[in-house]
Amino acid sequence: MQMEQTRKIEKNIITLEHVDKEFEKVKEGGVFEVVKDLNIKVRENEFLVLFGPGQCGKTTILNMIAGFEEPTAGTIRMKGEKINGPDPSRGMVFQNLAIFPWLTVMGNVEYGLRMKGVDKKTRREKAQYYIDLVGLKGFENHYPIQISGGMKQRVGIARAYCNEPDVILMDEPFGALDAQTRYLMQDEIIRIWEAEKRTVIFVTNNIEEAVYVADRIIVIRNCPTNVKAEYEINLPRPRSYIDPDFLKLRREINNVVDHTL
Amino acid sequence: MLERKAKMWQKIAAAAVSFALLILIWQLAAMNPQFSQVMPGPFAVLQKFFVSFVEPIGKNVMLQHMLITLSRWAAGFIAATILGIALGLTMGWYRGFEAFMRPLFELVRPIPTLAWIPLVILWCGIGELAKYVLVFIGAFMSIVQNAYHGAKSVDRTIVNAARMLGCNDRQMFFTIVIPASVPAISAGLQIGVASAWSSVVAAELVRSSSGVGWIVVTGQQNNNMTQILVGILVIAVIGLLLALLIRRVEDVLCRWNKRGR
Repeated sequence: MQMEQTRKIEKNIITLEHVDKEFEKVKEGGVFEVVKDLNIKVRENEFLVLFGPGQCGKTTILNMIAGFEEPTAGTIRMKGEKINGPDPSRGMVFQNLAIFPWLTVMGNVEYGLRMKGVDKKTRREKAQYYIDLVGLKGFENHYPIQISGGMKQRVGIARAYCNEPDVILMDEPFGALDAQTRYLMQDEIIRIWEAEKRTVIFVTNNIEEAVYVADRIIVIRNCPTNVKAEYEINLPRPRSYIDPDFLKLRREINNVVDHTL
Repeated sequence: MLERKAKMWQKIAAAAVSFALLILIWQLAAMNPQFSQVMPGPFAVLQKFFVSFVEPIGKNVMLQHMLITLSRWAAGFIAATILGIALGLTMGWYRGFEAFMRPLFELVRPIPTLAWIPLVILWCGIGELAKYVLVFIGAFMSIVQNAYHGAKSVDRTIVNAARMLGCNDRQMFFTIVIPASVPAISAGLQIGVASAWSSVVAAELVRSSSGVGWIVVTGQQNNNMTQILVGILVIAVIGLLLALLIRRVEDVLCRWNKRGR
């Protein structure tokens, strides 16, 4: 019993318990409930997808896990400790990129290590490893404005990984990419995740993307947000969009999700 | 490439035509004896301009006048740049300092440089210091204002990205706020250059014994129309060169902000 307990605690890297989040309505007054009684347990090294309709508060959940925002009620813990502000142990890949336009690809990827005071040679080596991993070899000295949207998102991914966080939060990272690039990046993100086992929490509103990349999908209810359903995705990788099992799961999840206009 | 070159030559040709037309009309007008009394022709002005490099106007030859005015400009402008950027960024980034400083700054900002002249002369006398101070005032306001807006409008997700990568408050100011504000600062410097240049000329018009503003004002006192025009020509050309110089500096500082560089 005791043993069982310990093992379980180790397995969950992040836990959200009865988390509420309200925003003040500036014009009308009163509050807007975005998240209501949200409970999620994130397992170590899993690829967890939070899937739900647009505007349902997924980004708010990620921002709270990242520490950019505080829950109104409830607690979020990482490895048993309450999350208190952003921390390098939780990296984030942002929907709108948020890469530093005045730094080169190399400058962006090594930024976290530079802030930590890692010496130039070490951090260059490490950054180079991640630049190669995401497939940006040869673009080290390019500025973000000189590369494509897909490449910029790779910079964001390499930057998050290079800081060696335990958990990487991805907020609809491929939302702004064209369909072809998006398919490519889905394969890439799985390849990188398999090469560098870390916990990933991936937010998307795209059902195929969710089933394609996830170990586990948590379907999020529309506002106020909480868990509506949960699916273990045991399909072997690499997956196929037209595999019958894939389509069956896709249909099943589609029937569960709240559809909004 | 060839097409771009052809377009460039078209532009140069168009500009040359407008200059040629101005000179032609001016010359035709000056050939009328009544008009030439008050307005010497373009060639008389150009001749006087070149001669003034050898034959002194007052105590100095033209190059000395130019350097005297430029050094006054530089002293005030450099001081305004350093202090203006520091004040603007600090005011834009730190809320408490903004609340303390901004109302005062907003009160002082609309005062035209010319209105400061009597006060500055009474405080600093009619020597060099008064001119430095006036140039400083001329450039300072727009440099502060633009740096302030630069720091104020740093992208929120960029700030979050930096925090997530582990940067502390000091690093945030130096590695995020400053570079993110560079385009806004450059815009401030562009305006600052022009207003500093007008201020130095204004200061020399009011009280001086050398410099290009002095050339204009003694031309008026001696009823020497050619000298006035030479002075104005020099003011225009140096003003233009200074603007080009600052634009060059901007190109270097903001190369990450311009496509294809």
